[in-house]
Amino acid sequence: MLELKNLRLSYGSTQILNGVDLSVRRGDVVSIIGPSGTGKTTLLKCINYLVKPASGTITFDQIRMDYQRVDKAAIQAIRCRTAMVFQQFNVFKNMTVIQNVMDPLVVVQRKSKDEARQIALQELERVGLSAKQDSYPSQLSGGQLQRTGIARALAVRPDVMLFDEPTSSLDPELVGEVLKVIKDVASSGITSLLVTHEMQFARSISNRIVFMDKGIVAADGSPTEIFDTPSSPRLAQFLNSEHTHN
Amino acid sequence: MFDMDVLLPDFRDIIGAVPVTLAMALIVFVVSTIIGGLFALVEHRRIPVLREFVVAYKVVFKGVPKVIVIFLVYYSLPAVIQFLGSLVGVTLNGHTTSNWVILVVSLIACMAAFQAEIVKGALNSFDTGQSDAAHSLGYKNSQLFRRILFPQVVVSAIPDLASSIMVIMKALSLGFAIEVVDIFAQSQLTAALNFYYLEAFLIAVVIYMVIAYIVTQLADRTERALRVW
Repeated sequence: MLELKNLRLSYGSTQILNGVDLSVRRGDVVSIIGPSGTGKTTLLKCINYLVKPASGTITFDQIRMDYQRVDKAAIQAIRCRTAMVFQQFNVFKNMTVIQNVMDPLVVVQRKSKDEARQIALQELERVGLSAKQDSYPSQLSGGQLQRTGIARALAVRPDVMLFDEPTSSLDPELVGEVLKVIKDVASSGITSLLVTHEMQFARSISNRIVFMDKGIVAADGSPTEIFDTPSSPRLAQFLNSEHTHN
Repeated sequence: MFDMDVLLPDFRDIIGAVPVTLAMALIVFVVSTIIGGLFALVEHRRIPVLREFVVAYKVVFKGVPKVIVIFLVYYSLPAVIQFLGSLVGVTLNGHTTSNWVILVVSLIACMAAFQAEIVKGALNSFDTGQSDAAHSLGYKNSQLFRRILFPQVVVSAIPDLASSIMVIMKALSLGFAIEVVDIFAQSQLTAALNFYYLEAFLIAVVIYMVIAYIVTQLADRTERALRVW
């Protein structure tokens, strides 16, 4: 359903994406792993055009776009069918938890407030935040902020969820509650792309692992293939370093 | 040296100038903040050409003393008005322009440059992650502005905007140079009649301080009520 071809991007003389190809089938849960600075987050943000690649194409069901010819309608269509969960949460600070979840439904999807509230309550229940619905972001812990972000993303009923290192800026004791929610999302059948450094978690929820290195997809396969029989020394070395780290 | 007896009649005299001063301050504040806000947006969005204009404008109007701007406007505005009128085929007598209008226009021109910096600072304090989130959910720029950016930026700007009101209040006293009577000018005139200068200016000091206190209090309360993060 989602296909990226030959994505290239550089900041100054630094090549970030060096011709990335990636295709995702409906229902896939793909974890993207790899060393820092290899373009994992950048790749994810190219999908909803928060980052603008220099060249390449994206196909999202019937939507096609060549990144060299910006097509605002296509970008908007893709944005409306994907939702992103950010490393830094990025909840709207001037809104309560429930307003954060309702606002995109009212503003972008033009749903009535009542309908938006119904959906929001449902999603907050799902992430375990019903009790905090009227709190402002400043009153929440990192884990609660991230669960708000996830509820906000789920509420728009996206075809694809994009998780950008959702637990990387959380205190260790708060990681568990967020991973639990993501696991629940992944198992519900929503197509998901997850950039993460949580190897064990990636292995347990994904049906595919993509290993990025130096701006390209260096390995792509099932969790067993990637983790148990790494195809390259580089991958083996990376997995080893992550392992000793954890 | 200090005469208590003149305080009360002098006070009545000088307080009479307060409504006019406040009204002019309010006009200058509102209009210059709107113009300054637009300037800040031009810079924030990096709109070409307009952006260079804004940078040049700020250099000029932050650099030139307000009193000089007032005199420049005083001697040129009537002619400009007549010229603009002639462009659209209307005969206007620019020389009937009230001096208070000239003062207000001059201060708007000057303050817009400073208000632009206040708004720019507030815009810069807004973290772009929230813009990313909104864009990723399909918000258009105008929706992002209305729902998320503006409500947060306004609150961040409140303390600086409140002090700019006081800057404007004080700058209005420059209107004395073109015979506009504000609190300061009224003290001067009152004192000139009875030669109790110290008394008159002390009254002016007290009035300015009371206004400053009220403005600061109102701003603090509004900010506290609106700042939920």
